[in-house]
Amino acid sequence: MKQKTDVMQGTLALMVLKTLDVLGPLHGYGIARRIEQISGDLLSVNQGTLYPVLLRLEQEGSVESDWGASENNRRARYYKLTRAGKRDLQAEVQDWNQTAEIIARFLAAKAEDPS
Amino acid sequence: MKALQRSFARIFNFAARRRSDRRLREEMQEHLAMQAEENMRAGMTPAEARRQAILKLGALEPIRESYRAEQGIPLAETVLQDIRYALRMLRKSPAFTLVVVVTLALGIGANAAIFTLINALMLRNLPVADPQMLVRLGNSNDCCVGQGTPDNGEFSLFTTGTYEFLRKNTPDFEELAAIQAGWSYRPVVVRRDASQDTPRSVMGEFVSGNYFRMFGMNAAKGRLLTDRDDVAGAPLTAVMSDETWRSHFNRDPAIVGSIFRVNTKPVTIVGIAPRGFYGDRLMVSPPEFYLPIETMPALANVTYVHDPDEQWLYMIGRLRPGVSRAQVQQKVSALFRQQLATTPRYSTKERLDALNRAHIVLTPGGAGVQAMQEYFNTRVNMLMIASGLVLLIACANIANLLLVRGMARKAEMNVRTALGARRGRIIRQLLTESLMLAAAGGLAGLVVAYAGARMLLALAFPGAEHVPIDARPSPLILGFACGLSLLTGMLFGVAPAWIASRAEPVEALRGNTRFVSGGTTLLQRTLVVLQAALSLVLLVGAGIFAQSLSKLQHIDLKLDPVNRYIVHINPQTAGYAQHQVVDLYRTIEDRFRALPAVDKVGIASYTPMEDDNNGWGVAVQGRPDSHLNASYLKANPDYFDSVGTRLIAGRNIEPRDTASSQPVAVVNQNFVRAFFKPGENPLGQHFGNGSRRAGDFEIVGVVEDTAYQSATWKDHRMYFVPLPQHPFGTNYSIDKDENMYANAIVVKTSRPVPDMEELARHTLADINPNLAVQHFQTFTAQIADQFTEERLLSRLTMLFGVLALLLASLGLYGVTAYGVARRTSEIGIRMALGAQRGGVTTMVIRGAMIQSLLGLAIGIPAAVATAHYASSLVYEIKGASATVLTSSVLALALATLVAALIPARRAASIEPARALRTE
Repeated sequence: MKQKTDVMQGTLALMVLKTLDVLGPLHGYGIARRIEQISGDLLSVNQGTLYPVLLRLEQEGSVESDWGASENNRRARYYKLTRAGKRDLQAEVQDWNQTAEIIARFLAAKAEDPS
Repeated sequence: MKALQRSFARIFNFAARRRSDRRLREEMQEHLAMQAEENMRAGMTPAEARRQAILKLGALEPIRESYRAEQGIPLAETVLQDIRYALRMLRKSPAFTLVVVVTLALGIGANAAIFTLINALMLRNLPVADPQMLVRLGNSNDCCVGQGTPDNGEFSLFTTGTYEFLRKNTPDFEELAAIQAGWSYRPVVVRRDASQDTPRSVMGEFVSGNYFRMFGMNAAKGRLLTDRDDVAGAPLTAVMSDETWRSHFNRDPAIVGSIFRVNTKPVTIVGIAPRGFYGDRLMVSPPEFYLPIETMPALANVTYVHDPDEQWLYMIGRLRPGVSRAQVQQKVSALFRQQLATTPRYSTKERLDALNRAHIVLTPGGAGVQAMQEYFNTRVNMLMIASGLVLLIACANIANLLLVRGMARKAEMNVRTALGARRGRIIRQLLTESLMLAAAGGLAGLVVAYAGARMLLALAFPGAEHVPIDARPSPLILGFACGLSLLTGMLFGVAPAWIASRAEPVEALRGNTRFVSGGTTLLQRTLVVLQAALSLVLLVGAGIFAQSLSKLQHIDLKLDPVNRYIVHINPQTAGYAQHQVVDLYRTIEDRFRALPAVDKVGIASYTPMEDDNNGWGVAVQGRPDSHLNASYLKANPDYFDSVGTRLIAGRNIEPRDTASSQPVAVVNQNFVRAFFKPGENPLGQHFGNGSRRAGDFEIVGVVEDTAYQSATWKDHRMYFVPLPQHPFGTNYSIDKDENMYANAIVVKTSRPVPDMEELARHTLADINPNLAVQHFQTFTAQIADQFTEERLLSRLTMLFGVLALLLASLGLYGVTAYGVARRTSEIGIRMALGAQRGGVTTMVIRGAMIQSLLGLAIGIPAAVATAHYASSLVYEIKGASATVLTSSVLALALATLVAALIPARRAASIEPARALRTE
């Protein structure tokens, strides 16, 4: 059985960026929920691993964070995509699509289909 | 770009020690709370909701770890953590830390001190331009004025004629300079003109006009000497040393161009030598004035400057680029023989052989004339070996202590491994600890090195006014000390770390004290045995030097130093001509005798046990010339009594021996033994310098063999001649006779006179203000000075020996104490089974003694071999005597006993019940 964390290392950052792009400023729990909803059980355990990733993104300047109040008036730290983050996201999405396309084509290729 | 930004953020966090652990904690708490609410909405009980939320969040510790790793610089942080932890551990065992640091400090300090000295003495070049291009003509330290041919034909001392000829005919030298060889024996008396200063007797060196140009130097102020200053009849000029300008004249710019009285003659100071320049050789008292050679006859009233046969100069030259030393050596030697053949001395047939043998060996001149270097060479090497041995012992000690500590912490390592620490991490931790220790030791070692080098200099040159040797460790020595301490730390940190890191977690969970028994390891015991052996070697060495010193000091010098004071003067420097000195001596006798408590006033060329000698060839009338030399000394009637030399036969020098009476001489017993058959009466016989002058002196008395120059000079033949007599005929007129100048006044008093120095100065100044005291000492101090070197060696080897013994004892103590600690339960069981406390004590001491005995077994042959080597450096001691060996062995045995007694008593005080409970 493969460890889920292996996959996550590469993809979690991209998922976070995309989530923030789609939903706007959001706290850690919200991001985790969103990723869980969309990716199924990828983040159903070990949700905490999200936080080091968020810290890294923040140190890279892709996101910024600040304390704010949540829907039910709790104090929570909100993460927001920066302009640099938006650019990063675009670049990474492009990269990802390209890679996915190549892999997909590769996997779809049959023996008698040389081109 | 992103990576860069991230690194900045990390470094910033690291530097600012920004810890957002709190932020993480808060975020996670919020996260949990939100998840729990969600779960509760899904219908769980609050407790279950919270439990599920925690599960979903995952294991906290790894998250926190990776969060932290993300935040700062993990490596730097763990290193810092290691250091903090190491400091805490070292603080927790202050005794261990102190012993290691002190051991390292002493080991490294002693080595760095010796190395500093070697660096300063042996390896340093003169502070001049391109010292590697300098060559010295000659390879020995022959001094100072003479006419001999060296036995091997290798000349180092030259006549003015040779210098001028070589300078003219060797274009291979950019410059060839000549230097007075014996300036340190001939101080000049200097006083600033038209000032109230008292005249000072200081070092002045006569050099050729191109001396400074040859060294490639520029004046600190004014100008340096030139060839124009160095011609006969030129205005008298001098260059002052920067040190003198600074310390005596406060860098007064008016000094340049002012007139100074040098030996009463007016001399213009044309400039100041560059800062830090200490002349052409390393000397305890460097020259304060540099004067042109051609002004020497006028200033110092010497005849040898233009004598074709008198050798008195050293030569140093600067080679042209691309010229090989070997070629120049050939050429210079050929030219030298060519010049010698034109001199009166070597143009005779009987010296043809000597002429053919004559040659010059060129040696590197970058360090100048290496008189002191040659003198100290073997001694410094020996000290280096001794300090190296001490370092070896220190390293063995450190190794042992670290090993012991590593073993003792095995349980700790086991627990750490069980808790998940990786081996690399544990090794790194232990290594950090040893490196910290090494760094602390190295730092303390530097302090010891500085103090040690200062002490060495003070011991080596007692009473020196200005030694141009720096005790500060140079960067080279800093590197040496740091490298050494790091290497020691690495070496002895790794082994215990490796052993400790092989810990089995399982052992930690077992009570391992009983299972891992067996006391100390073989490695540890080997180290202790080695230490014991090495310290024995050093102790025996120290014993040999102490014995040699004591033997030297107990030589019967055949003199009496009690209540005698020696005043060194030079009437020449006060402006007296030779024909005037006899009256001066009479005045000195009268004035000094008038002082309170003064019994006798001796006046002589030089005195016993000082570094001065005047050797002349002796031929006895009516016999073939023996070609033997004897030392020649002029003295007044009181002289023998004043130094305590006893008359054996005939009569003393008396007031009736005047310039016009029959020239007489008193000779010593060695003289009689050398020139007369046993039983033959020397009294009434005549002798002189060479067969042509064999009738010059009539022997009227024989005195005992008082030691002159050195206590160990055997068969030192001497003759003593009345001060006023000068029986050398018209060829050698009195005003050319340097020996008319007496250099010493010996005052014998009936009781100690503490202010004799002041009295002597005043008395002389009353006679003539220019009669400066060159040097004042009690006779006892003068004799003690001759043993300075032996005393220094003896003290240092003793210091190293004691240090070695101390370190070896520490090592032995450490290993024994550790063994006892490891065997606590075993000893407890023995005692529970009926072993007596006395028996336990004996058992522990026996264990330590066996190691010392093994050390002795190795050490004694090594010590005997060392003693054989050291014998060449000491006075009349062949190998290690039984006394030295026995006392060294006893010292080691005693140290072993003391070192073993403490742990032995601890072993004996073990309570069986408690020892067994420790399981």
